Amino acid sequence: MYQCKEITQFTSQEMDAKLPWLTRMEMKLHLLMCKNCQRYAQQLRFINKALVNLEVHPTTANSQLSKQAKQRIAQSIQELEKE
Amino acid sequence: MTQTNTLSPEYWLDEHGDILYRYALLRVHSEATAEDLVQDTLLAGIQAIERFSGKSTLRTWLVGILKHKIIDHFRKYKREVLSLDADDTAEEVLSYQFDQQGNWKEDLVEWGTPEKTVNDKQFWLAFNLCISRLPPRMADLLFLRAVDGLATQECCSLLGFESENQLWVTLSRTRAKLRLCLDTHWFNKV
Repeated sequence: MYQCKEITQFTSQEMDAKLPWLTRMEMKLHLLMCKNCQRYAQQLRFINKALVNLEVHPTTANSQLSKQAKQRIAQSIQELEKE
Repeated sequence: MTQTNTLSPEYWLDEHGDILYRYALLRVHSEATAEDLVQDTLLAGIQAIERFSGKSTLRTWLVGILKHKIIDHFRKYKREVLSLDADDTAEEVLSYQFDQQGNWKEDLVEWGTPEKTVNDKQFWLAFNLCISRLPPRMADLLFLRAVDGLATQECCSLLGFESENQLWVTLSRTRAKLRLCLDTHWFNKV
């Protein structure tokens, strides 16, 4: 029988690889009985979705393009348009 | 605003430049690299504008281009093998949630309705913060795998993991760390 700690490892690993049949069965059985590990799995799935649909918001002072960078980029756009 | 204006490249820079920059900065951890990626993205977008179908928003389309540029960046600048020290700290994070038998010490709290959550700007602030607290290599791995969908073997070679097993363990610890941070700073905030 696996412990919760091992199940959390398998829950993640299952997102990246196919687990051996026996491990999958034991995991299923554990999840049937363990509310915490069920929630853990739900929360990891939620995190995966949130990573894909990630919205970025300013969290720090450096979270905007600097004036110099903007100028440089605007210039490269203008050069491209001239071509 | 007229159609011509919304499609003018200068407008793209003003309207989407900062968003692209923030996303790039979160992924590559370097301001200079992030700036270069924004420039590459906008130039590529301008050159490929006839391929923009209008099915998604212009921003979503540009972020899609940026994501490709980020993968290219990781492929091009395949890093030196870094030490695992920073990643190892996550083992403690994982361990203290469990008792000696390896069972949860405390019950996990339900996270409620995800639909409601993703419409909350404060949630995304917390999520951004929790990502930025991950050791860079752990964050790189998580994004390349879970967002960009790179094969585990390519992730190993790009980020210098010795085996797939080491990569799976690190991914699991990364997700555990991120989950715990979100739980503490958002879902289960006291």
